[in-house]
Amino acid sequence: MSAEAHSMALPERTPLESAGSRAAAPVLRALPKLKQRQKGLIAGIIGLLALALTVVLAVNIHVANSQYTVVQLQNDHRALTQTNQALTEQLQHLESPQALSRAAVGLGMVMPAEAAAFDLGNGEVVGTAEAADSGDRPSGFVATPEAPGDDAAAPVNVSESAAGAPAGILGAGALNTLTTPPSGQNGQEESAGTRSQFSPDELNGGTIPAPSFD
Amino acid sequence: MASAQKKRADRVLSFRMRIGLTMILVMLLVLGGRLFQVQGLDPAGHAQAAVSERLRSIPLPAHRGDILDADGRVLATSVDRYDLVADQAVVDDFVRYDETTKLREEVPVETGISELSEVLDMDVEELTELVVGEDRYSVVARSLTPEQSAAATEIGIPGVYAEPVSERSYPSGAVAGSIVGFMGADGPLEGIEAAQDDALSGTDGERIFEVGGDGIRIPIATFEELPAEDGQDIRLTVDQDLQWFAQEAIAEKSHQYNAAWGNATVLDLKSGEILAMADSETVDPAEPGATDELFRRPLALTQAFEPGSTGKAITFATALEEGTLNPTDSFQVANRYEEGGQTISDATDHPTLDMTAAGIFARSYNTGTVMIGGEVPQETRYDYMKRVGIGEPIDIGVGAETSGQLRPPEEWDARQHLTTQFGQGYTTSVLHNMQTFQTIMNGGVSVPLRVIDSYIDADGTEHPADAGEEERIFSEETSEEMLRMFEGVVDYGTGSDAAIAGYRVGGKTGIAEAAGAGGGFDGYTQTFIGAAPLDDPQYLVSVTVHRPQGYWKDWVVTDTFREIMSYVLSSYDVAPAGAESQAYDGFTGENQDQPW
Repeated sequence: MSAEAHSMALPERTPLESAGSRAAAPVLRALPKLKQRQKGLIAGIIGLLALALTVVLAVNIHVANSQYTVVQLQNDHRALTQTNQALTEQLQHLESPQALSRAAVGLGMVMPAEAAAFDLGNGEVVGTAEAADSGDRPSGFVATPEAPGDDAAAPVNVSESAAGAPAGILGAGALNTLTTPPSGQNGQEESAGTRSQFSPDELNGGTIPAPSFD
Repeated sequence: MASAQKKRADRVLSFRMRIGLTMILVMLLVLGGRLFQVQGLDPAGHAQAAVSERLRSIPLPAHRGDILDADGRVLATSVDRYDLVADQAVVDDFVRYDETTKLREEVPVETGISELSEVLDMDVEELTELVVGEDRYSVVARSLTPEQSAAATEIGIPGVYAEPVSERSYPSGAVAGSIVGFMGADGPLEGIEAAQDDALSGTDGERIFEVGGDGIRIPIATFEELPAEDGQDIRLTVDQDLQWFAQEAIAEKSHQYNAAWGNATVLDLKSGEILAMADSETVDPAEPGATDELFRRPLALTQAFEPGSTGKAITFATALEEGTLNPTDSFQVANRYEEGGQTISDATDHPTLDMTAAGIFARSYNTGTVMIGGEVPQETRYDYMKRVGIGEPIDIGVGAETSGQLRPPEEWDARQHLTTQFGQGYTTSVLHNMQTFQTIMNGGVSVPLRVIDSYIDADGTEHPADAGEEERIFSEETSEEMLRMFEGVVDYGTGSDAAIAGYRVGGKTGIAEAAGAGGGFDGYTQTFIGAAPLDDPQYLVSVTVHRPQGYWKDWVVTDTFREIMSYVLSSYDVAPAGAESQAYDGFTGENQDQPW
């Protein structure tokens, strides 16, 4: 019955055309299946794209953050290197013979006198020991080098002020502490830590410079 | 009708298409031409041009090596400093965040400059001139410490920035300054810094990479790094503490006699290592301009003078070696001596004395010396003098050496064959005198003097410096006899102030006239060179004072010798042996206490 209606509804169709539509019919039946699979694929692709976008964003944020960390660490490294260098310079300055001699005078020390020695082989004393002369301070012909980074502060001549003072921690030693300005190591360290060493060129309008090779 | 329209439309379309096609063809032709030009004609050259357009190279400066003393204490090192530079075109009023008020505030450039003047300790007007103007590169301040430069840039004046520079620092200042040397604006000028520049400076490296049109590095493109080869550290034989002590001692002595200059040199007798080479005044390498030019180089190397009586040592040693003399041979020594029309006289009006050769040496009588030296042919004496290095340059690696002057015998004048016997008629430097005494006192073996101990690579590998060739010049026996004669000088001769309790000390005094600029003599050079302990001589100290003021009989340098030698013996742990003197008798007969 339905086949009759069907044939009646398409009276002008050529035999070829009807043959073609008849052949296409089974393919149409398969379509819904295919459509469902495509839906899943599109959702998958969109999901994948979203995931990729998220990953790219995350990586980007991470890279950007890491670059800030790199700059910060480079900054810290430079600051620490320079603090280290400043302290090394101070140490070398304090190790210089002039500074040592000045510090010794500050503690009330004087030049040694003749020393004697025990000959352990025969138990004899070799040489004659003498008491040191309390007024025999080392001469100061060789200038004390300038303390590193301390252009303004004139060296304090402790030896002159210590000349009349009694020896020991309460005498010349205390005088030394009073007359010598604090070395300011902590202050220096602090200023070195918070320093900003970047030129406008390096900053390029920002607050932290872009990573560079040096 | 419809078909005619369609035909026209087709024609228009084909006409338009032809135009389009032609344009595409033209473009293709242009591109093809360009492709042919780039790839066909000189493709390598174009590729090269493209690469060099992108390539950037940054030099990686090598770290300059340190100069260390014998114990590794730093005498010269490189430190980071900053030059403060202003791009005056950018300098303007600026805005900055105030920590206390938590507000952004406008800061006029004048305020910024006055703050900067406090940091730099400079005059405001002077500073304004350097900061404000049209100059794109104006150096405001040089060699600021990192702290100073941080404080200066923190003010925030736009266009004022810090440029890193490397600078030399000399922590001990003038201690060994003339040996270490110093740098000028364009490189090293004097001393070890200049003479050993090749070792110290190393080789600069390079970093090569490609940048895109925006100036950013192309991450996957060429990246090459030729690392810098850092310079070697140089360790000297100089002991910083001893050097300082000697500098103080000789400065005090020079000051006492208001001398033109003084020098004290300390030598390790066996190794030839110079432990100290101290001048009465020494350059501070950080500020070489502040010191007189004379004192910018080691005087022991640069200054030649007549050695005077210290030159008798080589005459006596030659006579002993040649077998024409024994230390106990006796001589009748008057205070005048004539030979070939030349009269030699002694410094004091002593009576004629019956003396041994050792006595003549101890009292340093010229008359007795020419009786002894005359027994040896002058060519032989000249040979020995040459062999210990007199008249030859002494290279210890610092540059700046003088060779002194010693003419060959055939060029000597009528008097020189006599005067050369007691240290006149030729000139030597302090190091020549040291080398002569070192040879005589070290068992007759000459060891080349040196001031460089070793070169140390950046990775810590040490390369000992070439110690040179030792050479036997005198026999052990001659050396032994000379040591006993040197002891006589200190025991009962001209150098009695040099004695140190508990040690056997020997040496020789010297006083010579100094030639003036206009010819003739117008000053003196006073010397003492001595060694201790004589049982096994280890250290040699020389003290020289040039042109002291006052009367010659008042000048004493043996006390400075004693001071320095005592310091050396105690700081190098040489125990006093308390051994008896082995000096020869100075006079024949019982009476050893004769008038001078």
